[in-house]
Amino acid sequence: MKLLRYIFRNVMRNKLRSLLTVMAIWMCLMLMTFLYGYLASMEAWGKEADKYNRVVVMNKQGFDGLVPEKMLSEVREIKGVVAAVPFSWFGGRYGDGSQFFAQFGTDPEQVFKVWAEYKIPADQLEAFKNDRQACVVDRELAERLGLKIGDRVRLQGTYYNFNLDLKLVGVYDPPETTLSLFYNVKYLDEGLRATAGGRGAGNCGTIFFKGASADIIPKLCSQIDQHYESSETPTNTQTEKAFSQMFVKMQGNIQNFILFIAVFVTISLTLVAANGMAMSMRERTTEIAVLKAIGFQSGRVLTLMLGESVVIASIGGVLGVGAGRGVYALVHWAAPMIVQTSRMPWPVMAWGLVISAAIGLASGIVPAVLAARLSVVDGLRRIV
Amino acid sequence: MVPVRYNLRNLRVRWVTTLMTSLFTGLLVCASVLVFGLVDGLMRTFTVSADEQKLIFLRKGSDNETSSDIMRETADKLTNLDGIAIDPATGRPMASAETVTIQTKPRRGDTLSVNLIIRGLSESGRSLRPAFRIVQGRELRSGTNEAITSPSIAARFQNCGLGETLDINGTPFQIVGLFEASGSTAESEVWVDSNQLALARRSRAESCSVVIAQAANRAARDAIVERIKSDDDEFKDLEVKDEKQYFESQIAVIATIRKIGYGLAVFLSIGAMFGAANTMYSAVASRSREIGTMRALGFSRRSILASFLFESVVLCLIGGVLGCMATLPLNGLSSGTQNPMMFSEVTFAFHFGPRVLLQGVMLATIMGLVGGLAPAVRAVRLTIIQALRER
Repeated sequence: MKLLRYIFRNVMRNKLRSLLTVMAIWMCLMLMTFLYGYLASMEAWGKEADKYNRVVVMNKQGFDGLVPEKMLSEVREIKGVVAAVPFSWFGGRYGDGSQFFAQFGTDPEQVFKVWAEYKIPADQLEAFKNDRQACVVDRELAERLGLKIGDRVRLQGTYYNFNLDLKLVGVYDPPETTLSLFYNVKYLDEGLRATAGGRGAGNCGTIFFKGASADIIPKLCSQIDQHYESSETPTNTQTEKAFSQMFVKMQGNIQNFILFIAVFVTISLTLVAANGMAMSMRERTTEIAVLKAIGFQSGRVLTLMLGESVVIASIGGVLGVGAGRGVYALVHWAAPMIVQTSRMPWPVMAWGLVISAAIGLASGIVPAVLAARLSVVDGLRRIV
Repeated sequence: MVPVRYNLRNLRVRWVTTLMTSLFTGLLVCASVLVFGLVDGLMRTFTVSADEQKLIFLRKGSDNETSSDIMRETADKLTNLDGIAIDPATGRPMASAETVTIQTKPRRGDTLSVNLIIRGLSESGRSLRPAFRIVQGRELRSGTNEAITSPSIAARFQNCGLGETLDINGTPFQIVGLFEASGSTAESEVWVDSNQLALARRSRAESCSVVIAQAANRAARDAIVERIKSDDDEFKDLEVKDEKQYFESQIAVIATIRKIGYGLAVFLSIGAMFGAANTMYSAVASRSREIGTMRALGFSRRSILASFLFESVVLCLIGGVLGCMATLPLNGLSSGTQNPMMFSEVTFAFHFGPRVLLQGVMLATIMGLVGGLAPAVRAVRLTIIQALRER
């Protein structure tokens, strides 16, 4: 305990130097926390997905391929499928196009059975089922767009040659914000048939279904793919987790790049902190020699110096992780398409703290060993 | 003025600190320059070909090639519009009706698939790309299931290498050649014959995605744009953008990435400034007597301030220059990420041009100036007596 107090006193001795080191670590760790949080947020969907037993059927060719309506009714017939819905990306433009969010055409009857964890009041769900032009949105999206129940939502089609004129009838609460809108795919289908010569009609886009249990899902996937293998529209059926990983993969080398930057920053911070510690150690050579002369053992001196560097780096770490968390929330607020979740996964923050402590250890090691090895005579003789 | 040699010798005497300080500023500058180089490379992919006389005809309301579609009949009329440049080699208009589709294909060393653009086009499409040339293998023969792609896609995707066979909806296409097109977005695509693509996809051959055309001159360009805008008959469902406008919407997303990249560099630099300040404070503290002596000899406060600032800048510049140089071997390194507008793979090359490197050097200079300012001010604020009295 006494040692700890001594360490704190040492940290406070050259306030300016400790402050500068803390600030350097603060700034850089804030950035790393944000970047890691960003990487983790992309994978968050996949991490959560497994427990809901959802499966995605898409055309083997990709998103451009057709998933015919008749496939949906066939999938619903399969034993072990609890509920299945079409899930078709609309890609519409809302207002001036500055607010970009996902809109999916689906089946109001079953969509909240497939996403059973999304909460929606029963009367709002009923309204969604009864009105073909109805839509429901995620709570955060409703707040962002300033939408209230009963408001009109007009979406200009980009992928489809048809504009949607929707009425908001409900707001749902997902466990983590999705910034998405659900509408009745039949409304789009009818519209396309009536005005656009039927181009794009009768396409489910993808089919999302919920399996009865986790262990039958691999069998269901291969069963469906085999069934459609030689049809006009071969399928690619995968778990929601695998599906989500596809989107992460699309980011390509960006991920490695961020890791690369993070390694650079960590090494660099270690050097900053080591430099500070080396300076402190040099100033205190005589003092360390005195400590040894009055009976402090090498191990203690080592702990003293290491403790100091760990304390400094950890203070920077706590501030940096906290600030990084703040920046994360800020970017989510300003650019939800980039940082899609508002909550940062806690392992990211834990790692930030561990890394800062590690920086402290690594940076203190050389000065601390030098201090521990210092011979009393040399130290006392040296004129600083 | 205090001689420059004084500062340089000081840096040499305290070489461990100098080395450490330069190393960390160098690493942080290097990290920033890497980000700049990535953003610049990505930006170049979209701007290398931004010809205002090259026109892209899309279905009204669709904002990119993959979501557009045009009837073949209309497309034929478009390719024969007045004002389109004539290719001197073939004597035909420089216009091309093209089909763009996205297929999910696995990258090399990966089982999960990502989106890859397959473009069906005819010979006339070649002359519309900047400096299109086959660099390996040969051009595809039209009417056959052959394909060509860029070296970077060949290296990144399974079954896309020269001689390999890529499956498109069950139909095998053999890769017979690799092409380059000045690093433009064309290099992120696989090209096949447009009719063969329609057959493979069993899609309606009577429609295509877009028409791309080169206007003969500025006036012809404006005339065509006006023609499409005012037409309310055969072209009423169409929209025309020049290549610059077309890429602008895609660049908007990259501009966001750039902002984040610059923000990153700013914060890293602030971090580095604190580190540099630390070094300079200790340099000043250990040289109080020297400073006092210099003042006593008649050096003005201003020249001592300048001297310490100079030392700080040199310290950071050593690192900055090293950091910039460390990125040079990566210049031109091919990489890939998602094109947010087309929702598919876009390959780009890291680009560390003079502008990016200059940014890096400037960053280091600013780090040195700002980081050294407070310590330098402290150095000159001491009175001569105080300074000389210190240990």
